[in-house]
Amino acid sequence: MTSKDLTLTNVSRRFGTVTALDNFNLHVGVGELVALLGPSGCGKTTALRIIAGLESLDSGKVAVGEKDISKVPAHKRNMGMVFQAYSLFPNLTVEENVAFGLQMRKVAKHSRLKRSQELLELVGLPSHAKRFTHQLSGGQQQRVALARALAFSPEILLLDEPLSALDAQVRVNLREEIRRLQISLGTTTVFVTHDQEEAMSISDRVGVMSNGVLEQIDTPDVLYNEPATAFVANFVGVMNRIPANLADGKVNIFGKNLVASKKGSETGKIVALLRPETILVKKSENQGNAKVLTRSFLGASSAIICQTHEGTIVQSLMASLNTGEFQPGTSVDLEVTVNEVMVANG
Amino acid sequence: MEGAPLERSAFRFFKFKSVLPALPFLIIFSFFFIYPISKLIYVSFMSNENNFTFGNYQTAFTEPYSTGFINSIKIAFFSALITAFPGAIAAYFIETRGPSKVRRSLAMMGGVLANTGGVPLAFMFTAAIGMQGTLTKVLKYFGFDIYAGTFSLGTFTGILIVYLYFQLPLMIIVFSPAITSLRREWVEAARNLGASQLNYWLRVGLPLLFPSFIASFLLLFASGFSAYATANALTVGNVPLTPLQIGGLLDGNVSAAQLNLGKSLSVVMILISAIAVIPYLIIQRKAARWQR
Amino acid sequence: MKKRLDLPLLTTLGALSFFVFVPMLSAFEYSIRTPLEGGYGLTHYKWAVDNEDFFHYILRSGWLSALTVLITLIILVPTVTWLHLSDSKLRPLIDALSLLPLVIPVVAFAVGAQISFPEFVQNTVLELPFLYFVLALPYAYRALDIGLNSIPLKTITEAARSTGASWVRTIISVIIPVIRGAVMATVALTFALSIGEYTLTVLLHWDTFPTWVTYVAQENILGAIAISMMSLVIPFVLLTSITLLTPDRSAQRRK
Repeated sequence: MTSKDLTLTNVSRRFGTVTALDNFNLHVGVGELVALLGPSGCGKTTALRIIAGLESLDSGKVAVGEKDISKVPAHKRNMGMVFQAYSLFPNLTVEENVAFGLQMRKVAKHSRLKRSQELLELVGLPSHAKRFTHQLSGGQQQRVALARALAFSPEILLLDEPLSALDAQVRVNLREEIRRLQISLGTTTVFVTHDQEEAMSISDRVGVMSNGVLEQIDTPDVLYNEPATAFVANFVGVMNRIPANLADGKVNIFGKNLVASKKGSETGKIVALLRPETILVKKSENQGNAKVLTRSFLGASSAIICQTHEGTIVQSLMASLNTGEFQPGTSVDLEVTVNEVMVANG
Repeated sequence: MEGAPLERSAFRFFKFKSVLPALPFLIIFSFFFIYPISKLIYVSFMSNENNFTFGNYQTAFTEPYSTGFINSIKIAFFSALITAFPGAIAAYFIETRGPSKVRRSLAMMGGVLANTGGVPLAFMFTAAIGMQGTLTKVLKYFGFDIYAGTFSLGTFTGILIVYLYFQLPLMIIVFSPAITSLRREWVEAARNLGASQLNYWLRVGLPLLFPSFIASFLLLFASGFSAYATANALTVGNVPLTPLQIGGLLDGNVSAAQLNLGKSLSVVMILISAIAVIPYLIIQRKAARWQR
Repeated sequence: MKKRLDLPLLTTLGALSFFVFVPMLSAFEYSIRTPLEGGYGLTHYKWAVDNEDFFHYILRSGWLSALTVLITLIILVPTVTWLHLSDSKLRPLIDALSLLPLVIPVVAFAVGAQISFPEFVQNTVLELPFLYFVLALPYAYRALDIGLNSIPLKTITEAARSTGASWVRTIISVIIPVIRGAVMATVALTFALSIGEYTLTVLLHWDTFPTWVTYVAQENILGAIAISMMSLVIPFVLLTSITLLTPDRSAQRRK
């Protein structure tokens, strides 16, 4: 019943010449929800499948609590998994699907059906027990899949892009529900997704992956505000890439000298990385340093996309108040509101 | 039909109630199919003097026609039974493990064998396991004389063997879609939920394949039951099979007493075939719900 | 992916090859025996090909089949397209009708055809393409149905119509190219079925390539075997090599 922590140590996996995971390390604490985020082919799904035992590993170790389970076959691991879609057994009713894991664990019929009903109530489908899966909508199917994965009280819950096949509205509702359930049950959870908003909104920590390597793992705030690498900076949130010169650890952007926050080997021509909300647009009386291309009204805030006279496209995010004057073609002055900037190779 | 308003009305014309666009199909299908079959049924109840009678059906269930039906059902049943399991297993391995090129070429070959067979198949087997056939000689060389007993290609067993040659590919073709529609997610979900390989097959895999298996078996039955060409080329009227008997009656080997006997035999054939094909179609339709 | 010997697959393929090729190769050996001179030769094949009827009947079967394909496409493509576009109440009916020929044994169909059609139909070989059309209908209809199901037909049609294309034009230059896979499948199925059709043809007393073979068998069984071998092996080799040479589209098999 009690959830355990999960540790992956130096896990590697190759498919032919492709390295899916390269010395991959991950620790997920008890009751924690960690999202693995990255573009397709970054190895996040492979990592999840290795945890589940559906994929073998070439080297390294997977441990639940203190126990090394690297060699334990998938069906002997006590983990619940929710797949992308279509994973419900079409020959079984909803309640039989949910009870499947318990049946495999030889739980008596009446208690497994009782447990099945409990979980269907938890996921908001108490009256659907006797239906067949093809009678359910996509969102309902994924709720049942979640109930099924949780029914036997797994030590770890694994979510493999469970929302990617759903409509936008259902996706948002269901992800919040997953989080609510996960917190109340206290199940250690790994959640794989390529949708950064999804990952950031419900996770305790997010691990950003690329090319089989964990680039950075941290809370959503830290990832956004203090990205460890340029890849993370670009992948998480919108990022302006402004070409500039680096000299003496300083970068001049729109007439302001900024301290380069990462003193790496970069020098000379670099790209400065700036979030849209750190860029201020002001109406210019004369030429200014840029022209407005478009303005999108997003409600409380507006996104204003400008082009500098050098040709760089820059996006700014400002409170909507008074942004109405930034019609396309307007000459504007761009300003940076921060003093430090991250740089990357140009 | 130019211009916007006309355009819209044309669209509506196309869209609602009207049956006009389906008329060419309905006319041709009715004339070349519904009409002949209806007339067949009608005439099967006619005596030589064009009076209503059950006489043709009474004769249809006496010798030698009753034996014809029994033989036809037997050959359909056994040819389907013998090929269904190996065909299903072959389909499983080909679909789950075969590279796509292998799968596609086998589907093509299967199509040729299952459909264009007929007469050429009969001659091919005559050359292979006929009295002077190559395979017959090879087997004899190894001390296995298939002609030692009463075997001959023109017997029930002989026809059965040749039928296997198109029934097996047919089974693979018909059953393969069911295999392809088994999702990898189901195996993985079952494993994840604690099911051993055996448990997966018992609780999920086999229950899902079973209806399609039965459906495929029924289609094989219908195919073996209706087959005419192969049997016709292999035999000289010595094995009573309903299709051959009907063919014989159609060719004029008919006594004045039973002018419309061929029609009643045909109708009974249709009924037996329907008993197999209609459940096949229904099961296929139901299975399509999860075969997406 | 790792290249490993897949034992179950190889066993299956081995067993199937044995099943298919042993009778085929045995028959081939038989067909190249030359009893008069002893030894082997292509005598019987040469006899068959030199026979003027050989090409006469191939040609006849060929154009009958081509005509069947044409009739199938002309009747079926607009009908099925229309059924998909309109929410016609006829659709379930025509769906069911199209499957009916599967239920009727060809022998029974032949009997019905023989007693039904007026003289002017029975007297022309042109009745055959229409009857072949009926026999191929369950397969052709399903192939087109699946093809049209897999595309956003309504949008495509409306787009074509809104640019001013007539219905005929829409079908010929928009819909058919979009579902060309399904159309090709329909053509292949219909053609294969027509060119190999024996039962109906022989019972209605017409002569085509498949029925000619039985006729040949009465005077020269070895010649008939040679012809049979050709009619089995040639499509076999032809289709398999087409399959192996055409690009792989297996990636599209699953979404």
